[in-house]
Amino acid sequence: MEGFLHELWVARWAIGQGTLLTIQVSAFSILLGSALGMLGGVGLAYGPWPLRWLIRILVDCIRGTPVLVLILASFYLLSFAGINFTAIESGLFSLTIFCAAHMAEVIRGALQSIPGAQIDAGRAIGLTFLKILTYVLLPQVARQILPVWVNTGAELVKASTLLSVIGAGELLFRTQEIIGRNFMTLEFYGFCGVIYFLINFAIERLGKVAARRFALQ
Amino acid sequence: MSLLSIHGLTKRFGANEILKGVDLDVDQGEVVSVIGSSGSGKTTLLRCVNLLEDFDGGEIILDGVSIGYATENGRRRRVGERELARQRSMTGMVFQSFNLFPHLTAIGNVMLGLVKVRRMNRADATVHAMSWLNRVGLSDRAHHLPGQLSGGQQQRVAIARAFAMNPKLVLLDEITSALDPELVGEVLGTIKSLAVEGTTMLIVTHEMRFARDVSQRVVFMDGGRIAEQGPPAEIFNAPRVARLREFLGKANM
Repeated sequence: MEGFLHELWVARWAIGQGTLLTIQVSAFSILLGSALGMLGGVGLAYGPWPLRWLIRILVDCIRGTPVLVLILASFYLLSFAGINFTAIESGLFSLTIFCAAHMAEVIRGALQSIPGAQIDAGRAIGLTFLKILTYVLLPQVARQILPVWVNTGAELVKASTLLSVIGAGELLFRTQEIIGRNFMTLEFYGFCGVIYFLINFAIERLGKVAARRFALQ
Repeated sequence: MSLLSIHGLTKRFGANEILKGVDLDVDQGEVVSVIGSSGSGKTTLLRCVNLLEDFDGGEIILDGVSIGYATENGRRRRVGERELARQRSMTGMVFQSFNLFPHLTAIGNVMLGLVKVRRMNRADATVHAMSWLNRVGLSDRAHHLPGQLSGGQQQRVAIARAFAMNPKLVLLDEITSALDPELVGEVLGTIKSLAVEGTTMLIVTHEMRFARDVSQRVVFMDGGRIAEQGPPAEIFNAPRVARLREFLGKANM
């Protein structure tokens, strides 16, 4: 135990940096991914057909591809197109488009589940469609998709571990480096697991608080 | 001059012709009720006037301006989104199923149009919205969400939302049809009190007693046309058209 605590103290910066990068990558991809997903979802629900088709093809291709393949492709394949991403940039890019594709589909579904009478009511008081979207539809969509959104956030934290295969220094990669030095496999994988659990537990609690705060009853 | 003039209005859904040439004039300050059996085109007529439906032929003139369509180089086309929204904001509409915005409080529902369409500042809009909630007897429910209100209360909020915009014309579409019988009275009472203040209203209703009490003129629609119209006393006591006699015979008076 004392040996582990000593090694933990030695590795504190590496673990701290790894944890920070994991959180940063996850937060960036859920925020930018959700914003893009919102645009995509609105496009899928209300866009003119050429736009709808374009988004549909993008979303289906991304959703049909494993996240690991997205990560490897954005790291190795995009360089052939002249785009040279670092490991972290590849991670941000692939997790963001993964999140965007999922959220686009979820938001499309939520938009289409809102009764058309809500649009009528908005029109009747003279709101333009953009204002109906902003003040009537999307606030209702946000409440409806909150549980799925929280879940996607947790999924992204877990998916970020896949960045270790391209050498981005997130928590799992750092942990593997530490274990390569001190061979305390069980202890450090265990510790790493606890950190992932705490991050996701915090996300889930925040989601619960938000759900209560914005409840419609 | 009439506030609202409808000329030769036609509307079809596919092969189904819902409105077969409706002509109707409503004067400033007049309350007109539209009665008729289901499928006679009453609701479609109202939705056309509020530009929630497009229409195939004819013209709707509100306060001297033809709305919904513009003619350009001899071709008839729907006006753009921004202009449609502006024209819609001149009429208010209350729906059968209330259609309150569930994520906004009662006062939030009334304020949305005031702030985002009329561009009032929030302080003025709050005062104005509150005064309307007060008029429909719900100032103590201002900060409740629609889900926390009864059907009758929700409909009164919807009435406040429509009237607070100060529209030239208010359209009421079977506003008590979704209510429990004991809640009908409070909603109709609210409308009666607003009717005496000179707001122009076009009311689609199945409540014959209400139509008789509140309106200066009753219009009977049958098969997408206006079959008969006149003062309530004439329509209800001395109907001339056979279809109207038949309808009144079945209607619950």
